[in-house]
Amino acid sequence: MKIIYTDVLIIGGGLAGLRVATGVKERGHDAVVLTLVPPKRSHSSAAQGGMQASLANSTMGEGDNEDVHFSDTIKGSDWGADQEVARMFVHCAPKAIRELAAWGVPWSRVKKGDRTAIINAQKVTITEKEEAHGLITARDFGGTKKWRTCYTSDGTGHSMLYAMDNKAHKEKIEIHERQEAISLIVDDGRCYGAVSRNLMTGELVAYVSKATTVATGGYGRIYSVSTNAIICQGIGQAIALETGIATLGNMEAIQFHPTAIVPVGILTTEGCRGDGGLLLDKDGYRFMPDYEPDKKELASRDVVSRRMTEHIRKGKGVKSRYGDHLWLDITILGREHIEKNLREVKEICENFLGIDPAVDWIPVRPTQHYSMGGIRTKYTGESQTLKGLYSCGEAACWDMHGFNRLGGNSVSETVVAGMLIAEYISDFCDSHESSMHIHSSKIEQALAVEKAKIEKLLTNTNGEDTYVLRRRMEEIMMEKVGIFRNGKDLQEAVDELEELYKRSQNIEVHRSKSRAANPALVNAYRTQKMLKVALTVAYGALLRQESRGAHSREDFPERDDENWLKRTITSWPDANQTLPTVSYEEIPIGNMELPPGWRGYGKDLTKHHHATPGRQATVDAIKAQLEKDGADRFEIQSALMPYLEKLPKKYRGINERLGENV
Amino acid sequence: MSEEIKPRILKINVLRFDPNDKNDFPHIETFEVEEADGMTLYIALNEIREHNDNSLMFDFVCRAGICGSCSMLVDGRPTLACRTLTSKLGESITLAPLPLFKLIKDLSIYSGEWMRGLNERLETWIHDKEEELNFDKLEERMEPELADEIYELDRCVECGCCVAGCGTIQMKPDFVGAVGLNKIARYHLDPRDKRDDEEYYELIGNEDGVFGCMTLLGCEDVCPKDLPLQSKIAYLRRMMIKTALKN
Amino acid sequence: MKKKKIDKTPARLDFIQSASGLILGLFMWGHMFFVSTILLGKDVMYNVTRFFEGYYFFGESYPIIVTIVAGIVFFIFIVHAAVAIRKFPSSYKQYKIMRNHIKSFKHDDTRLWFWQVFTGFAMFFLGSVHLYIIMTNSADIGPYASADRVVSEWMWPLYILLLLAVEFHGSIGMYRLALKWGWFEGKDAKKTRDRLRSYKYAITVFFLTLGFLTLAAYIKIGIEHKDNVGERYHEQSVTVKGVQQ
Repeated sequence: MKIIYTDVLIIGGGLAGLRVATGVKERGHDAVVLTLVPPKRSHSSAAQGGMQASLANSTMGEGDNEDVHFSDTIKGSDWGADQEVARMFVHCAPKAIRELAAWGVPWSRVKKGDRTAIINAQKVTITEKEEAHGLITARDFGGTKKWRTCYTSDGTGHSMLYAMDNKAHKEKIEIHERQEAISLIVDDGRCYGAVSRNLMTGELVAYVSKATTVATGGYGRIYSVSTNAIICQGIGQAIALETGIATLGNMEAIQFHPTAIVPVGILTTEGCRGDGGLLLDKDGYRFMPDYEPDKKELASRDVVSRRMTEHIRKGKGVKSRYGDHLWLDITILGREHIEKNLREVKEICENFLGIDPAVDWIPVRPTQHYSMGGIRTKYTGESQTLKGLYSCGEAACWDMHGFNRLGGNSVSETVVAGMLIAEYISDFCDSHESSMHIHSSKIEQALAVEKAKIEKLLTNTNGEDTYVLRRRMEEIMMEKVGIFRNGKDLQEAVDELEELYKRSQNIEVHRSKSRAANPALVNAYRTQKMLKVALTVAYGALLRQESRGAHSREDFPERDDENWLKRTITSWPDANQTLPTVSYEEIPIGNMELPPGWRGYGKDLTKHHHATPGRQATVDAIKAQLEKDGADRFEIQSALMPYLEKLPKKYRGINERLGENV
Repeated sequence: MSEEIKPRILKINVLRFDPNDKNDFPHIETFEVEEADGMTLYIALNEIREHNDNSLMFDFVCRAGICGSCSMLVDGRPTLACRTLTSKLGESITLAPLPLFKLIKDLSIYSGEWMRGLNERLETWIHDKEEELNFDKLEERMEPELADEIYELDRCVECGCCVAGCGTIQMKPDFVGAVGLNKIARYHLDPRDKRDDEEYYELIGNEDGVFGCMTLLGCEDVCPKDLPLQSKIAYLRRMMIKTALKN
Repeated sequence: MKKKKIDKTPARLDFIQSASGLILGLFMWGHMFFVSTILLGKDVMYNVTRFFEGYYFFGESYPIIVTIVAGIVFFIFIVHAAVAIRKFPSSYKQYKIMRNHIKSFKHDDTRLWFWQVFTGFAMFFLGSVHLYIIMTNSADIGPYASADRVVSEWMWPLYILLLLAVEFHGSIGMYRLALKWGWFEGKDAKKTRDRLRSYKYAITVFFLTLGFLTLAAYIKIGIEHKDNVGERYHEQSVTVKGVQQ
């Protein structure tokens, strides 16, 4: 029996996990990172487009600051986000990006003087300021008032992840590769690490730690077509769920990205549209202005995805053997721009479609892309219910995205959450609370349980075929828990998923019986876990009788703040139950800095909460009074919703910008 | 019209071996797969795993040519399998794991360990002045062209194709390979890294470094990211000679 | 300030390998041109020989000059061999790995490595023999003397092999030198490399053709001169003298 002790166990070696690791290490705690793949191959690397941070260096970003970023994020979330968390996030994003700049990310820079850009299909000349020359530049992304998305060509995530992993090398962080955490070790209401399976040798190892962080990313692969890497299977959420104590939040909030290529579902970045690309239908007609005259192609992702689906349903899609799709036209950007700033897109088009995007249109359709939901945490990243368990990045529901995430806010969240949560974890580890009281027999027991499960999968007879269950789950999620949802489909989905889940308890790994490296075995136990996650999504979606952000119910098209301004909280307290337990957490309007309003897309169908007007009046009054008194924006903000005390001291400083606080 | 043409039946020959199985030995196993439109090796291999042999081991992560996980020898040539269209290959396709890296099973290799070792050896991180940085302040400026140039070299995905395509490293496994040399070129270009030429010389000014390179240029020809490896290695060689002469 | 002392030897060795290779390569190209003057006639070759023996500087031939030049070349040759041997496989295992790599990879520039190592290895012997003979018999260079050596002294098999080895080794080496140091790289290194590669092929073909024609010429003379082995060529026309005055 192998037991490894450490201060902080981090499950997941993407941007969020590595940032936590370097953070706790800096505070003097030992950290071990478990990863399925080498950290540099994590899905973070696939983030092409950029990272939002209100630096306001480029001319089109002038006037940007935390307030604008905050308001964009909250509107984008359809008021589902935790506003304090969003505040903490927008405040720290500029720090995180500057930190990464120092660690080696070669962010694309502002070049003084004139340059041409395509805005709304028109060539325009933008003059960049002399004093901004050499600072980090930004591009336009959907759902933002200002050009705020900082980038490195179109390999933003890649360059961030490489800088981050190199930093981890420098700090001598222990990386245990091809280790898969298959259960969390829990004793007396406290998480003490995880049981991990070595994917090369099959050995089970118990990692025992004071604090455990799940940073395993999203769960897109419960859908048959997803832009996600194939390792984004929601195993992190599943093992949290399986503790019976930890809870998941807003699992039904699934984002569909408007422009993944058909049929393989590989993403083409939002930067395509941000830089001026257009969406066209089968007649080559630009349809987005008809639906969203204001933001057009650059409306929020959920909105564009729905509009595209609507348009396809009107018969305007391009027929293909893989189903209908639409066109993304970036030819107007010119070859030079494409080859420099959208090179990954060009490579993807060449390699997977055999087309040249400087000449040809790209076949696209909305595809599962991001999981707003995840392990529900406090602002410190700690599970609300399971002490010692932390989570951050896409794996968590922290919750700064609410029901829809803005493009560019995800990689940004990974590093911001990582740096903050590392501090909170360190505080925890420094405190007496963190001392461990777990008997080694408990650890042995945890190992034995997992060993038995694996043995059962391998030795079971007349059992179910994993692939059959898994394919069916993926189809159900795709067809019935997709962009547009309705009660009937969702009910069918939940029923059938529950059935599949029951059958999954009797999986047999056919033929491939190795206890070491064995992809069939891995697929088997993951499918069991994925089905649980799929159920939380479908069940949450069925119960939520409103449309909010990316969750769009055809039978309940309006956003219903009165009844549904709350988070879905899912748990699985009894291992024998076959449906998750669902409860709700109110999102209090009383302390909102930005009371619920209209996002500004389509018709306003919101059923407002009775408390909203009152809070709005309070906010307006405080603002008016303070403005009259000559208060600055920080003072006004602080009067509306103080949050600074929640931040670790080292991150409370005011951000410098050109022309502000310099 | 393409519908009328009968799809090809691909013969996919996989070099298989499970080092964990004492009774196993390296052998070729052939699978037949019906080709589909736009089929990549990612799709083909998954079909084999799902329908023919669920124990077949291979590595894919992003399956979009971004992460560098799925490098393997396709008909002897190292490349990323996920973005290799079967239509560009013959009816009989031979797949083998990249040589030199530790074999996990079948086509799956432990490249992560190798790359981590390389990164540690070459200290591929920014060596700054170890002063407390204040991230509230404006970031340091950088010329836009320089930032682009650094990114150009930062695009390496550590897939290991250049290593597998390098004759030198096959014979002399301690050689850093193009992946390592490119990294040094990248940090040397970066003004944020304060290492001087002598420190770089310490790292690669030897037979396991730039002077070991025999300029066979397999690296340059197989790099899936088209990195300018030849130019950068030549540049480093000139720089290292200059450094040695200067001293 | 800490200043690390760096070990300059690897840099030196690398530089010496390239520099000696370059010198030998250029020398061989020149050498080929001079030897091939036989194609223009015995007189021309004879005068070229006398030129190198210093006749036109001192009014008399001093074969010792050729001995010295050959000695220098021999020395560079040995130095080159000594440093270049670092690139050879150091065991059968390494050799085998490389052979397999070449076989499965099917990559032109990698294949060239084999030929370069192979020809280099061959030249340890072929080149040494040739250089030693020239050094020790520097007076015996001329239309008849050289031709006799080729035919009657049975050097032609060695010369055929040496010619092949030298030309392949030299042009591959020069091509690699250009890439190794980034010469002529210009804006598009890939295009330049394609161009260099075609030059390399052209140069190989040119020198092999020239070399074999030259060798054929000596063989022809050698056969005709078979019965008079030992006889030296003498100028037969005064015009040559005339030209020189």
